[in-house]
Amino acid sequence: MKQWLGMPVVGALLLSACVTINVYFPAAEAKEAAREFVEKVIDEADKVQIKDSSGGGMAALRVRADFDPWMLLGIGSAQAQGAPDISIKTPAIQAIQSRMESRFNGTLRAGFDSGALGFTSDGMISVRDAGKLELKDRVAMNAAVADDNRDRKAVYREVAVANGHPEWEGQIRDVFAKQWVDSAKSGWWYQSGGGWKQK
Amino acid sequence: MVRPILAASLLVLGMLPAAAVHARGVQARIARITTAVATLEQVRVRLDWAADADSGELQLWAGRVDAPDLGYRYRDLHWRCPLRRAGKDGWHCDGPLLQGRARPGTAAAMQLAVRFDAAMTQATLQQGRTRIVLDRNAAAPDLTSLDLRQVPIAWAQALLAKAWPEARFKAGDFDAALAIEAPAGRPLRVSGPLVLREIGLETADAAIAGENLGARVAIDFRSAPALSQLAIDGEVRGGEFLAGNTYVALPASPVGLRIDAIQRGVSGWELPRIEWRDGDVLQVAGSAGLGTDASLRALDLDVRSRDMSPLRQRYLSGWLGLFGLGEVDLHGAMDLRVQLRDGSLQRADARLHGVDLRDPGERFVFDGLRGDVRYSAGAPVQSELQWQRGKLYGLEFDAARLPFASADGQLAFREDATVPIMGGSMTFRGLAIRPPQGGAGADIRFALVLDDIDFGRVSQAIGLPAFQGRLSGSIPHARYANERIDFDGGLSMQLFDGRVAFSSLALERPFGSAPSLSADIAFDDLDLLRLTEVLGFGSISGRLDGRIEGLRLVDWTPVAFDARFITDARPGEKQRISQRAVQNISSVGDASFVTSLQGQLIGLFDDFGYRRIGIGCRLANEVCAMSGLQHSDDSQASNAFTIVEGAGLPRLSVVGFNKQVDWPTLVERLAAVGSGEVKPVVD
Repeated sequence: MKQWLGMPVVGALLLSACVTINVYFPAAEAKEAAREFVEKVIDEADKVQIKDSSGGGMAALRVRADFDPWMLLGIGSAQAQGAPDISIKTPAIQAIQSRMESRFNGTLRAGFDSGALGFTSDGMISVRDAGKLELKDRVAMNAAVADDNRDRKAVYREVAVANGHPEWEGQIRDVFAKQWVDSAKSGWWYQSGGGWKQK
Repeated sequence: MVRPILAASLLVLGMLPAAAVHARGVQARIARITTAVATLEQVRVRLDWAADADSGELQLWAGRVDAPDLGYRYRDLHWRCPLRRAGKDGWHCDGPLLQGRARPGTAAAMQLAVRFDAAMTQATLQQGRTRIVLDRNAAAPDLTSLDLRQVPIAWAQALLAKAWPEARFKAGDFDAALAIEAPAGRPLRVSGPLVLREIGLETADAAIAGENLGARVAIDFRSAPALSQLAIDGEVRGGEFLAGNTYVALPASPVGLRIDAIQRGVSGWELPRIEWRDGDVLQVAGSAGLGTDASLRALDLDVRSRDMSPLRQRYLSGWLGLFGLGEVDLHGAMDLRVQLRDGSLQRADARLHGVDLRDPGERFVFDGLRGDVRYSAGAPVQSELQWQRGKLYGLEFDAARLPFASADGQLAFREDATVPIMGGSMTFRGLAIRPPQGGAGADIRFALVLDDIDFGRVSQAIGLPAFQGRLSGSIPHARYANERIDFDGGLSMQLFDGRVAFSSLALERPFGSAPSLSADIAFDDLDLLRLTEVLGFGSISGRLDGRIEGLRLVDWTPVAFDARFITDARPGEKQRISQRAVQNISSVGDASFVTSLQGQLIGLFDDFGYRRIGIGCRLANEVCAMSGLQHSDDSQASNAFTIVEGAGLPRLSVVGFNKQVDWPTLVERLAAVGSGEVKPVVD
């Protein structure tokens, strides 16, 4: 009797002798493909342009115009022309971006509207005419400009490193500088050829 | 403006006795009258005096009035007043003074009254509430008294522009009772009390600006051909001003001010005496020298603060804001002596009496700073600073002594300084700081020895799971320059009965935005059982080896690394993996397709034996390229990799699918496992 009772148990034991657990990790492929697809659709036309205008080391960079995070800053929806592939996906960089966005809306936008601030040719911002600001606002604006420039330095450096090419930092800075100017509202000031110009 | 008119009218009146008393009118045209102060051109004077009348009408026109030394120019002045006799030998005339096309009775209309006799002269100019009275006495011909009431500062713009050409005075008014002495051949002297109200000013380049400034001072100004002297002594009351990056918000209470200044020839102004007395908050005494372009050539200041709490808001907010320290809390008392020459710091001696320095974001806290810090760009000096306790990014440290020696522009430790931290100690050896100078940033070099630091406390402080271990190590060369600290040499740590070694450590932007840490880490023989229990992952017994290369944390979150972990079989050590751990691993996946029969049978066993476990992940751009145990028969093309290789019966193996894994989702699921929120996915 006992033997017969033991049969199912032994059978079960034998059946479970080899257990394979398959773990399907959350795939990243699908998302990435979609993003590249969208980029290609938007950028196909721009690809040729970028190769002509910049050449040299930049030719190795792919074209991409996904500047949605910057749109959040509300500085216009100009699609970038001639922007290299800047993947700015990491949460740290996105955290910096949201900080820059709230600082822009809170403090800096008024400075640009009044002409007190301007975009520099190296991707930073600076106080070009303090006289346009009330005295009590100037201290806060100086501090906000200093904070923003610190954030910008971090972004340009980390984007270059994240793309595996820390030596591209200078070029990435140039591209961002161009993009800031392209996306600026009319009436805002930017540095060009050693002097200040108004858009 | 008053004096030239006065001179002209005196000239005319001087002609009166010569004219016939019964005359109807006198007219004179004078091309040019030059006085010491001003030049009048195209002057026309007309006096109408009816016969036997007791007053006549005097009219004076001046086409141009120029006072170049004072900086004033006027055009088309016209003064019309009834001329009367006053007293025995005096005259009096009081009428409107108009410029250009202004009409009498309007707001712009001015009233000029002149009264003079043999002994004295008085002229009063009024416009609205503004009043200027000029008094001269024949007995003291060199002295002129000028009494000004509520004069808009714009009236003094031209005169002030001589001393300070870039400044524009926008608002405010002043009162003064000045005595002007102008003896021939001797220096001009202007002295007397001055009250300023709600003055607003701004320089052309907006580098210096002030608003609502008030003051009550006594001024004394002397001017000779090759020498100018100015003394100001009084109080500043309220207002705010910005000079470059220095922003001062003056308190409502009056602040004592005293400045003595002297200018020889065409060289810059020397200020042999400067005093600023703001109660307990800031007392400054010193001297300065300015260059011809108003740049600071020399500065010697003695600064004392008995109560530092209002210091930030009143004086330091401009500079602290620039460095992102705008909300720093300062308490205590301190003395500071500073010496600058040609824009560079020669000496700084700071003496702190119980100063607390606190960053609201808790990036750093220093309590009970006392002692002194002395910096010298030349001869050697020594000093010593202590603190009672502090915190750096959440890591607490206890009392320490920092023995400084400074010479030739460098500040260094003259002995090793040991800081007790987190149950162990951190010793700085050979620290040398070169402050930022001439465009180059700060440069700090040091060697560091860590001894027996309790890593459990560290993990708790920085929010890691409850790791246990002791951290020791030595870094023979560390260097901070260009916003980056590089640590040569390595740290090693005893963790979970195994060893962890850190190498190639570097920290970018340690005090800036989003600090970025990069490192290579090697793990050896960690006790897996303790590790998995701490992580809440079930229990896996055995030993773990691993490495993380190229780890990069930005703002303390990982953005890139190349990690690989593999178990290390030791003879005599059990290698078991618990049921819960298996379920946890499977829950990380999207859905585990385990046959229902096998799923139920897993539940029968508490744990399973394994031969090896291995897992790897290369993170780049939020995508984790995963790998497992590498078998010789694993082809690169396949999407599967073995993570757990079973042993004994029942033989369990865990196979992972999808080599390109979405990192954020993976992290989310692992965190859920660790906190026990997961429902194991077993059909």
